[in-house]
Amino acid sequence: MAGPIHIALTFDDGFWAPAYATMRSVALSTERPGDIVFHLLHKRLSAAHRAVLDDIPAEFPGIRLADHPIDTDPHFAAVKAGFVFKYRRLNDMVLARLIFDRLLPPEVTRLIYLDCDVMVRSPIEQLWEADLGGRSVGGVIDPNRQKVMLGTAFRAKADIFDFHQAYINGGVLLIDLRRWAAADLPGRTEQFRRDGLIDRLYYDQDIINLVFKDDITPLDWRWNLTNATRAHEALEPHIVHYTGDLKPWGLIPGAAFFSNYRHVMTQEKYYAYLRFRWARNLRRLVARLRPRRPETAA
Amino acid sequence: MSARPIHIALTFDDNFWAPAYALMRSICLSSRRPQDLVFHLIHIGLAPHHRQTLELIAAEYPARLLHTDLAHHAAYRDFVALLPMARPFTPVIYARLLLDRLLPPEVERVVYLDCDTYVRGPIETLSELDLNGHPIAAVLDPGRHKAMLGRDFRQNRELFSFNFAYFNSGMLVIDRAAYGQADLPAQTRRLHDSGALARIQYDQAILNLAFKDNWLPLDFRWNLIWPWPAHEVLEPQILHYTGHRKPWNLIPSAAFANAYRHTMTNDIFYAFWRERLRRRLLSPLRRLAGRG
Repeated sequence: MAGPIHIALTFDDGFWAPAYATMRSVALSTERPGDIVFHLLHKRLSAAHRAVLDDIPAEFPGIRLADHPIDTDPHFAAVKAGFVFKYRRLNDMVLARLIFDRLLPPEVTRLIYLDCDVMVRSPIEQLWEADLGGRSVGGVIDPNRQKVMLGTAFRAKADIFDFHQAYINGGVLLIDLRRWAAADLPGRTEQFRRDGLIDRLYYDQDIINLVFKDDITPLDWRWNLTNATRAHEALEPHIVHYTGDLKPWGLIPGAAFFSNYRHVMTQEKYYAYLRFRWARNLRRLVARLRPRRPETAA
Repeated sequence: MSARPIHIALTFDDNFWAPAYALMRSICLSSRRPQDLVFHLIHIGLAPHHRQTLELIAAEYPARLLHTDLAHHAAYRDFVALLPMARPFTPVIYARLLLDRLLPPEVERVVYLDCDTYVRGPIETLSELDLNGHPIAAVLDPGRHKAMLGRDFRQNRELFSFNFAYFNSGMLVIDRAAYGQADLPAQTRRLHDSGALARIQYDQAILNLAFKDNWLPLDFRWNLIWPWPAHEVLEPQILHYTGHRKPWNLIPSAAFANAYRHTMTNDIFYAFWRERLRRRLLSPLRRLAGRG
């Protein structure tokens, strides 16, 4: 399948370094750097952190970065304005994923979406060329799906999902973008609100699995190894997905390939990101400890 | 049943006498043809009482043990004299590069095993494997990217690419003639002369460069690197205790640690443990006395 390989990442300023590491892992492992186009759908990304991402094309000539800042995108603003409800799990990043087809250029008809907590170890073109079998979305069956689908005691969401549904993890997706557009995910989401389901849905992952039920091609689990631990290393996963608490950018080792991840992120950026998080957490702590002004009587 | 001998080569020094014993015993236990097993023990500095212990294998099983003392092998001494080395490795790791010169002439096929491996499947499966014309068979190394490309994956790019199929050299099925034709000592000297040898992962990298795209990949169960208890259910055939979590530690956390202890046997396990403890306690004193 010749031509560009379109890869989308959605992130805010808090994930600038993992986004860099995800991109660099793709760049290191691909045999077709000249075909890779990263579509960066970001929000409030600082100029300094955006400049860091340019190290990718500088180190890997041929790779292209395409910015799609959702803060200023009129399509995004229009869709967001149409959402009349407040629901914390429908944040801006989630919403952006639902409308890939409106935010990306029209020539993008096939898309790989990657969460920013993944590390790619095999040529991404192998995933790009996977046969979708005429279906809309390819993904890896989520090993933790039953609890996510059915909720507390496997009863809380039993009216929404069936125990046996082939439910995929939303962190790595191969998307037929024309069919994605035709599915009208914002419209379907609004329908879920009217049906009283929206507060019980798990981010965009539930929405995707509900909308594309029976329209999903399951991929080999190695393309999205969730909850990756050291024992998984021998199994040669293609994409390691650091779901759960053990993040490879933390100081406590235990995640699969954590040492490799650090060298993918590069030592310089790993420590810069560590300092960035410490400073951010300190600011949050100070803000929390600051005495609040007493409320004035009405 | 075939009467072909099953040749297995181990290279080690006196630090690994007990793991060598455990490895041999694991092979004898799991083979259906122990009478055909021939262990080629290639060692240096092996204490006489440790050598006696290794002979217990031949007493318990109908296997044969053939010793090669590298101290008397001039070609080995000359070969390793110039080569780089860093702890925890010792020069004996380079002996596997000379296997075609160290083994008796009748050996055509040999299975090489590191002494920190533990065999659970019949080794004859490997010794009779169809190599499809390849000089060796091995297992892809899951830690290869860092091993090849170093810090930030930016080193050695003139030698390796990210997708270089880099195998772990702790288990090798070797066609002796093809192995010899590769002339590994000459390749090693070339890498040494170019300055590259100091930047790569010793013998393993040398083998990978020599047999680039010319080796048969085997299922990971034939050389399970860094085995965790979670791997036990996957029925690995050979476990390779790379890293610090060794099954001969008193509080192990590696896969099949209890089975390993009983393969080594409790007597030898504790003798080995006492020996290491004594060495660890004495080494600071020796250093203070200027003898270490």
